[in-house]
Amino acid sequence: MNFRRVFLFVVLLLIAAVARRTPLVSGDDWLPITPDELKMTSEPKAPGAPAIFLYREVDRKDSGTANTEYNYARIKILTEEGRKYANVEIPYLHRTTAISNIRARTIRPDGTIVNFDGKVYEKTIEKTKGNTYLAKTFTLTDVQVGSIIEYHFNYDFEDGWVYSSLWVLSEELFTKRAKFTLKPYERLSVRWSWPAGLPAGAQVPTEEPDKVIRMTAQDIPAFQLEDYMPPENELKFRVDFVYSEESAIEKDETRYWKQFGKKNYDHVEGFIGKSQAMQQAVSQIVAPSDPPEVKLQKIYARSQQVRNLSFEPRRTEQEQKRDKLKEAKNVADVWSNGYGWGSEITWLFLGLAKAAGFEAYPVIAASRNEYFFRPARMNSHELNSNVVLVKLNGKELYFDPGTAFAPYAMLPWQEASVGALKLDKDGGSWVTTALPDSSASRIERKAELTMTDEGSLEGKITVTFTGLEGLSRRLELRDKDDAARKRYLEDQLSEYVPAAIEGELKSQPDWKSSSEPLVAVYQVKVPGWASSAGKRALLPVGLFSATEKHLFEHAHREFPIVFEFPFKKMDDVTIELPLGWQVGSAPKDMDTDAKAAEYIFKSDGKNGTVHFNRVLRSDLFIVPADKYTVLRNFFQVVRSGDEQQIVLQPGTTSASQ
Amino acid sequence: MNNKSCFSREPHPPASSRRARTHRSAALAALFVVASLLSSPAAKAGDAPSWMHALVNVPLPIHDEKTDAVLLYSEEILNVQSNGRIKETERAAYKILRPDGRRFGKLQFAFTPDSKINSLHAWCIPAQGKDYEVKEKDTAERGYADVEGGELYTDLRAKVVDIPAAEPGNIVGFEIDRDARPYILQNEWFLQQTVPVAEARYTLQLPPGWEYKAVWLNHAEIQPTPSGSNQWVWEAKNLPAIKWEPDMPPWKGVAGLMIVSLVPPGGVKRGFLTWSDMGNWYNELTQGRREASPDIKQKVAALTSSVSTPLGKMRALADFLQRDIRYVAISLGIGGVQPHPATEVFSHRFGDCKDKATLLSSMLKEVGIDSYYVIINVERGEVTPETPPHIGGFNHAILAIRLPDGVSDSSLVAVVQHPKLGRLLFFDPTDDLTPFGQLHGALQANYGMLVTPDGGELMALPQLATSASGITRAAKLTLDEHGTLRGEVHEIRVGDSAWYQREILRSVDKDSDRIKPIEGLMANSLGVFQVTGATVTNLKQTSLPFEYKWSFVAPAYGKTAGNLLLVRPRVLGTKSRDLLERKEPRQYPIENESPSRDTDTIEITIPAGYEVDDLPPAVNADYSFASYHSKTEVNGNTLKYTRTYEVKELSVPVSKADELKKLYRIIASDERNTAVLKPATH
Repeated sequence: MNFRRVFLFVVLLLIAAVARRTPLVSGDDWLPITPDELKMTSEPKAPGAPAIFLYREVDRKDSGTANTEYNYARIKILTEEGRKYANVEIPYLHRTTAISNIRARTIRPDGTIVNFDGKVYEKTIEKTKGNTYLAKTFTLTDVQVGSIIEYHFNYDFEDGWVYSSLWVLSEELFTKRAKFTLKPYERLSVRWSWPAGLPAGAQVPTEEPDKVIRMTAQDIPAFQLEDYMPPENELKFRVDFVYSEESAIEKDETRYWKQFGKKNYDHVEGFIGKSQAMQQAVSQIVAPSDPPEVKLQKIYARSQQVRNLSFEPRRTEQEQKRDKLKEAKNVADVWSNGYGWGSEITWLFLGLAKAAGFEAYPVIAASRNEYFFRPARMNSHELNSNVVLVKLNGKELYFDPGTAFAPYAMLPWQEASVGALKLDKDGGSWVTTALPDSSASRIERKAELTMTDEGSLEGKITVTFTGLEGLSRRLELRDKDDAARKRYLEDQLSEYVPAAIEGELKSQPDWKSSSEPLVAVYQVKVPGWASSAGKRALLPVGLFSATEKHLFEHAHREFPIVFEFPFKKMDDVTIELPLGWQVGSAPKDMDTDAKAAEYIFKSDGKNGTVHFNRVLRSDLFIVPADKYTVLRNFFQVVRSGDEQQIVLQPGTTSASQ
Repeated sequence: MNNKSCFSREPHPPASSRRARTHRSAALAALFVVASLLSSPAAKAGDAPSWMHALVNVPLPIHDEKTDAVLLYSEEILNVQSNGRIKETERAAYKILRPDGRRFGKLQFAFTPDSKINSLHAWCIPAQGKDYEVKEKDTAERGYADVEGGELYTDLRAKVVDIPAAEPGNIVGFEIDRDARPYILQNEWFLQQTVPVAEARYTLQLPPGWEYKAVWLNHAEIQPTPSGSNQWVWEAKNLPAIKWEPDMPPWKGVAGLMIVSLVPPGGVKRGFLTWSDMGNWYNELTQGRREASPDIKQKVAALTSSVSTPLGKMRALADFLQRDIRYVAISLGIGGVQPHPATEVFSHRFGDCKDKATLLSSMLKEVGIDSYYVIINVERGEVTPETPPHIGGFNHAILAIRLPDGVSDSSLVAVVQHPKLGRLLFFDPTDDLTPFGQLHGALQANYGMLVTPDGGELMALPQLATSASGITRAAKLTLDEHGTLRGEVHEIRVGDSAWYQREILRSVDKDSDRIKPIEGLMANSLGVFQVTGATVTNLKQTSLPFEYKWSFVAPAYGKTAGNLLLVRPRVLGTKSRDLLERKEPRQYPIENESPSRDTDTIEITIPAGYEVDDLPPAVNADYSFASYHSKTEVNGNTLKYTRTYEVKELSVPVSKADELKKLYRIIASDERNTAVLKPATH
């Protein structure tokens, strides 16, 4: 197994101290094996698991120059698939870390022991100019279903440095019992937290009189992935340790954020600088007679015209050197340079808005693709994004012109409805950024089709993406050319229709705008869409239903369901029937309003034409796991509605076809 | 199929990724066939060399607007030393035409302790501005291996180059020199790439007295031009791109390729001219590796003493290899192709494909049964009857077991009659989901080298009958007047169909998730459903059919339209595919995994008070490569839908692609068909 997939060690502080390195545990100090462990064939709390950790231990000692971390793992193999955990990989960063004292053994189901005496390989994971990532790999012998495998080793850290550390509780295997200790470096302050909580029954990490922080836990569930789940960081049990040079770490939440807010406010104010340059810039952008909203729109649009380095293809070191891009010390530099990073462009907009007389504030926000921000965690790194709050006509509007193609007064989904710190000279106050409702982000599909005697559909389909629907596509395709974008849009149409479709894009969508919807016009043919049933023909109504086909198909759910943003899908389909054909019967209209989501279907047929409208509205954001059944039922209703058919009576000439 | 590439010195692509495979193959030309005779001087420090600048204004090869880049020039130079070492140079330059062509600025060059990189340079000539240069010290290095997949360690690594300004309109190129000490004196020259090629050159310099033999695949033979003493040059121009298509044959089945065998003087056969040469080489390599230790003998006795028949003994040993010997690959030097001794594999209880074949062969010998290595490729089509003997074509090892006289059983279907050795049963001990006697689809009708004491021969493996793989699904269901459908489904899977289901379920690590494949299947066809119970039978007993039984309720399955009730009699299961629904005409054959035969029988009791008013038409579509028959009929108050879908041929030629597309559309239409129920008139 991959013992640790990620290098978690961040060099924090260079320290001066001298100590001898002594392993926390030396030799083959194996814990006794119980008869129950040998006999075990399954774990009732992890039914079907291929293997489980019977025991895990991590003992870290930060003593100055001989920091070491002892790791011990005992794994019970429960299925043939579980034998893969006998392949062990221990990655590490060369020069700063070494691996020592690797011992391993297999305990057969009958209790006999095979000590590992094979080769430990050293594998290059990646070697770059600055760093060499290696891994020790080995595999245990004679591993069968029912065997117990165990191994232990030490991470030994470079002298003179202290590293941040963490205890990972949630692993891909269920853990029956775990023990963790940390003896922190005495000359530094350390703070620890468990941002995703602790598993039931776990002992809270506590510093004991001997200055060692300890915790134990048991029955830690295996971590698994699900569609539409919250960020892993929100769900994985772990304990983070952070060292600080300060003699005493600020433990009061209010004071912590006040200090952070003041520091950042000063930084932003410094970056915005004197307003003279901005006032001159504003005078070039707006006319004095412009109403306030128009002024703000013009300033926003002009800010987005600044070359945004954050959304250009990655450039190599050589290219960057040759570009000789000037570093902006303030927004005036950004303005005069004509380019800047996304965050700088956002502050440029702030500077311009303030210079134009708007009440505008810098806001530091926590994007929610990695964390759901909680101030109580006192982790300022989670506030990783900047936006601007402008008060206009009594409304609070949020802007992020630093995100390419972001529409006016609309934040990209990662920054929408997140906790954020509105900065002021006193440190600031907490706000929650705006989340646009479903009407702001729409996919509108208008089909004007003709049905042939053979049941095929031919005609024009227009698809319009607005708000965040347009933004996400423009961002995804920003580095592509017209041919790739055409292919993307044609593939997108194919994904909507649950049958073979021949579609060709006929329009040239505007991929650069942040103010206009993205509109795609296609000429299409859907062969054999209507089917025959003896003397009748049946016309399915779910022309654009494929996207919802597999949504929440499983009955069981572990984690909450997170939607990126509210959206609305609006379909308007008109089908002209062949001459002489008539509508026999149409399905019932539907309106299922579940408050946060709604499905509407209406149809009518007259004068040889069938027309139906479908609306799927989702104002869903975070749905708790215990409400999953309700959510699943709603989408089942959607699918059921989409499966309806219109009964047609063919004309006399085509009935036989 | 097991994607473990356990017989190879090449990096292998991500599992099941044909795209990766083709890219890998294109890149491999850059990785393995390289060296340096000519080191082109650069105009001045930092500038691209003159050979690259000479390409700035050359006409581009024929290409369409979807072409990401073109290969303007590639050159490979092999300078063979009299001691068998090879100095290799490769240089190539691409013009990037589209943003997706940026990937040609990110290159990987593999190396091993036996094939060292002496120098590596890369450049970019921008459309405007000064050239860029990347030196070897600016490259990164990466290792291969997939520990969780069982690939524990390999000494194969790669230099990774990130060329600056790899943007549309610019030219990127590289030059690499290396020293190779090959085990086998053979070389491959891939003419074609995933993009069009303007010009490709290959130069071979041999020491005095040496000879070569060239074999061409997927391309007309090109005659070399002598260009000096024992030196030849091959040239090709304006070669079309090999564009990826779903279910296309493997790269070596379609791309132009020259395989060169080098023959030193004095009859030293390190470059194979015949399959016998190659078989003898492998015999030498495996000499003594199948010797049984006392422990092995003891284990064989323990496993077979209670079994009286030879077939029973073979099964017991095969089962031991499949279940008790874990797949772990450690590939160092010649260990990429040479198995570990059976004694080591047995004591460690792990090994890769050739290790497993070695131990099983050793154990079979102990019960008096002969067996032979079969070196093969897990992608059918990489090796064909036209392929010359060369080690680069293979990546897997299995066994051919000589069936003793009198051993006969209907389960032994992967059998071929060999003119000298009699009946040979092909068996893959690495594939723990295909039972003894059968053969996974990817190996069927494939070609492998049979290694016998007399040498080797290329041999066709059998193609199994369509009945050997497939799904038999039967459902008894009831529809009520509100349209709710409920009932039970019984599904029996054999052959590859069983293999896939077991493979899916083996990675399930929670009992509650075992139902997910059923939910996925149901969701393909039903909008609203609840699985109310499910059982799996024979999940581990691979010699028996895999079975699913489940019950479900599907509210609103029958749709009301006026006073009518509309019912789709197929209910579940999808056979249609959209892989041919593309604008571009198909270029390559469509490859099927295995022959198969699926049957559905769906019986729906219709609600009281209703009768059938309209039925969908029967469908009968017969083609040489596949057939599809469906019928809906009424028996009393039961609507009965039956269908059979049979895949008969493993490869559908391009000339029949339109027929296949038509068949898929016919199936799709049938799968949408609906029966109409109306209130009974009596």
